[in-house]
Formats: sequence, structure tokens, C-alpha cells
Amino acid sequence: MNVDDKFLLDVKNLRVDLPTERGLLHAVRGIDFQVRRGEMLCLVGESGCGKSMTSLALMGLLPRKAQRSADHIRFDGIDLLGLPEREMNALRGARMAMVFQEPMTSLNPSYTLGDQLCEALQAHRPSTSAQARERAVYLLERAGVPQAADRLRQYPHQLSGGLRQRVMIAMALMCGPDLIIADEPTTALDVTIQAQILRLIRELQREFGTAVVFITHDLGVVARIADRVAVMYAGEIVETAPVAELFARPSHPYTRGLLSCIPVRGKTLPGSRLQAIPGVVPSLIGPVSGCAFANRCGEAREACAQTPPQVELNSQHLVRCVAARPSHMYSEAA
Amino acid sequence: MKQDYALELCALSRTFTLKRGLFSKPGEIKAVDNVSLRVAKGETLGLVGESGCGKSTLAKMLLGLLAPTSGNVLLHGQEIDPRQRRARARQIQPIFQDPYSSLNPRRTVADIVGVPLRIHQVGSRVEQQRLVRETLDLVGMPERTHQQYPNQLSGGQRQRVAIARALVLRPDILVCDEPTSALDVSVQAQILNLLMDLKAKFGLTYFFISHDLGVVEHLVDRVAVMHRGAIVELGTREQIFARPEHPYTRALLASALSPEPGLGIPEVHTPEGIAA
Repeated sequence: MNVDDKFLLDVKNLRVDLPTERGLLHAVRGIDFQVRRGEMLCLVGESGCGKSMTSLALMGLLPRKAQRSADHIRFDGIDLLGLPEREMNALRGARMAMVFQEPMTSLNPSYTLGDQLCEALQAHRPSTSAQARERAVYLLERAGVPQAADRLRQYPHQLSGGLRQRVMIAMALMCGPDLIIADEPTTALDVTIQAQILRLIRELQREFGTAVVFITHDLGVVARIADRVAVMYAGEIVETAPVAELFARPSHPYTRGLLSCIPVRGKTLPGSRLQAIPGVVPSLIGPVSGCAFANRCGEAREACAQTPPQVELNSQHLVRCVAARPSHMYSEAA
Repeated sequence: MKQDYALELCALSRTFTLKRGLFSKPGEIKAVDNVSLRVAKGETLGLVGESGCGKSTLAKMLLGLLAPTSGNVLLHGQEIDPRQRRARARQIQPIFQDPYSSLNPRRTVADIVGVPLRIHQVGSRVEQQRLVRETLDLVGMPERTHQQYPNQLSGGQRQRVAIARALVLRPDILVCDEPTSALDVSVQAQILNLLMDLKAKFGLTYFFISHDLGVVEHLVDRVAVMHRGAIVELGTREQIFARPEHPYTRALLASALSPEPGLGIPEVHTPEGIAA
């Protein structure tokens, strides 16, 4: 076992730039993160913060005109950066799989579920149709799809949104991947179905020991499902911490702002003014200097015009802010 | 004393017919099934339920955009002739979910907000301009944005414009159909604060449709829970959130995920079971 085996996924200084009519859009601006085997990492942030671009960059599925660069993107010791397309194809779907937000559009409407599920396996593993069907039925059952065997003959339009997402999850698991990237997998679903799908993802992740990068904008979901959280703002990861630590000691002003602007039952007085974060997210077109949150931050100071340092509050809790202090210097009042 | 109701829905139903196939009998869907609700003047009534439960169909009937199959809607105790869309528009206005599709991309902000005034021929041109400026100011849109186009605005700003357009005729009832669902949470708080300020200022009555129970609990006085076209539970905010009676209300409340780690993911049994 070599040192790299500590992390299944190790991303260093990932950047994604998109050319637009008005200039280069810096969608992801140099982010570092790691995912351990079997770990659930939540990437949380608002629209346009770069979380989806990050997931597409990892899977090598960025739009053609997008430019990806990084020091390295190591997946199980393999650097994905220089990997030939043929080898990337062999990994994608087999060892790293993806679940998208829209189960409507990510299933092919003109093939049966059985065809699509079996193809996911047979494209990567030598197996007979019977073996593929057996695995498909097994995984559909594990994903909570009733009458799994009969479903193989059905087409996507015959299923509800919740069922389609269960099928997508079963499909992602067909080859027994080490890593699943789930991009807002429950955002299009109703809340009661969302809870069921989240439970399913959590259960299967534990059962199969799959690492998951879970992308969401919903802090309620993050709180309930994550092992570790990375908060993204304007193309950067501004704070990383284990989930309990992040919610107990949010240390970036943006994280604190996000947490205090959601009304929480039993904590926020109904009808009281909510603490909104003033202003809007800055444009990421053209050069961005200093802290991107400074123009909305109540604690902004002169030093924020410089690139903020990465402060290590403890070995697990990193914050990109000049105002952050290591936790032993934090008073309870903070 | 007789209470003044801003809005009364009396046994409101709407049925859609579905063509199944060439030779089979057309099916029927009761999108809204015998709904009766009364909203007092100055009250905020929250309507919660999941997609497809009939919330938006109900909203369309309130606004006169869709004729009910049976039943009627009273505004301030008076039935509105369905042909008199304009009279209704003066009293009740909508705010829709998606500020990206609900604003005309070819008109400037000031134009968009001025349209209702021109249609209803309120005042002179100068007066209309003054009203537009005043209303935009009210919703926190700075002067420099008035001549901009929707694509130059952020989601939150667009929703402010939509609110200004709804308010410019000074109606007393607003039907808010998921007004913050398309917005980021940091912006959602700004818009919710604005809605609360406007209510305090104008004594508005809100018919507030949302699937977000956190937002509903924060904003409303009473809650109606809708499921498969019918109101299954109606009560004060306190009653619904502290002592829900109907199994569906309980399932909804149980599946709302508050941002509190360590609570785990709730096990939810919906009335339809897992196949839902």
C-alpha cells in the first residue's frame, strides 16, 4: 500500500475556465479537496458557485470549450489530468459513476430500463445478458423499486420521478464503483420522496463502501447526510470541516451567513426579520482579486483585498478568511 | 360581528379530462376537489403540498386565469364576473416562482412595472412614471436599474421587479406561488423580509403557496395542507406545526430537513408508499 491510498480522490488546485462573449469566466478558481474511501463529502453552495462544474471536471464531462487545469486530480493513484480518453472511458461508469439532478433527461426514453441497466454493466465487465439482468434486478430491489423484475421491460416515461431516480442510483451501482458523484440528486423531487432517496443513498453507500461526492445547495440535506462538508463560494472552497463541526462552529462569514438566513423550526421566531446576506455574488468574468465575499461581508477589512490565507483551525477544519482564528483561540461567544 | 374576508373559495373544483387513447374512454383528473377556504383581510394563509397536488391550479382559479368546473371565488364577499378580468386584477395579483420566465426580456424594468398602469389607464403618463418609480423604490430597486433589461438583473432583483409589477395597481391580495423556490437561500431571506415589510406597510393579504415548510412556518398565520386536490388539514400555524393530525401532514413535517446535523434522515411513510 502506498501513501496515495489514503485518499480515493485527491484534487489539487483545480481550475475551470469558460470562454464567454464578455471574457473568460473563472467558474472554479483553484480548489483542493480530498475524499476518503467510503466517505460522503458534500459540496455545498449557491447557484453559480462552481459546484456542478467541479463535478463535471472530475468526470471529464465538461463542455467542449471549457478549460480544465489542475496540479493533479488523483483517483485511486491515477492522475486523471493527462489520461487518454479511452482510459477515462474505462473508468467512467465503472469505477466512478454519476447521478444527475434530472432523472427525466438522464435516462434514454427510447430504451427499456433493462437495456440501459444491462448496458451499464456489459460496457465495462464481460458478462452474459442473464448475469447482467440478475444484477439489475438485485440492485433495483436494493434501491427500493417494487416489482423489479417486471420493471426491466418498462420505459422511463412509465415511472414517477422518485422511481426514475432510484433506477439512476441502481444504474450507477451496476459496476460497483468506488466513487459516485451525485449532483443535486434530490432537488427535483418532492420532500417526502427526497427523504426516502437520501436514506437510500446513505444506506447503499455504507453497504457497498462507496465514496460519494454529494453536490447540493440545501443545508438541510447537508446536515443529515454528510460526513464532511466543503462550502463553495464564487468558485472557491471557503470552508471545509466535518459536518458536526461545521454546523457547530461555522467560521467563514459566508457559512455563518448561509446558516443564519434560513428559518429553522424552534429557533427562528416566526415573523421575525431574517438575516439576509446583502448584495449579490460577484461576476467571475475577468480577473478576481482578494476575497470574493468581501463586498457582502460584515467583517470585511483592508486585508481582504489580498488573497485570503487558508487558516487551519484544526487538522480537519480549514477556512479561507483573514478573520479566522484557530479554534483554541475561539471564545464560546463566537 | 361579521368578519371581513378578503378571499373566499366556495366548494371550488376543477376537473381535467385526459385522452387515453383513440378508443378508450377519456379519464378524469380532479386537480382541485371541492376546496373551501376563507382568508381574512390582512391574514397570510399558507398552502402546502407536493407537486401535482393542485396548488397551482387553485392559484390560477383565484386569479381568474382558469375557470372552475364548479364552485366560485369571492373577493371581499363579492363574486367576480369571469369576464371582468380587469376588475379582479385591481384586487388580486400574482407573484410567480420563476422570475426568469415571468418577465418580458425585451422590456426594461420600468416598462414591465408600468404595463398594468397602461392597461388599466391609471392617471397620466407622468403620474404613471411617478408610480412606477415609487413602487420600484419600495421593493428596493435602485434608480440605475430602472432602465435595465431582465437579463442584466440577478434572480433576486428579478423577483423584486415581479413584486413591484404585482403591487403597482395597489391590490390588497397577493397570490404568491412559490415566490422564493427559484432563489438562492441568501437571496430568499431578502425577498421574505421584503414580503413581510410590504404586508406591514399596506396591510396586504397573502395567499402563500410553498412546499418549503420552514418558510411557511416563518411567514403564515394559518396553514392549509393540500393532498391530491383536496385540503386534508387546516389550522393555525401552531396547530399544524405542533400538533399535526392528518397522516399526510405528519409525513410532510417529518420529511422537512432542518439544518441540524446528528438528527439523521427521517424514515418517511407517505400514504402512497414507496412507489410514489
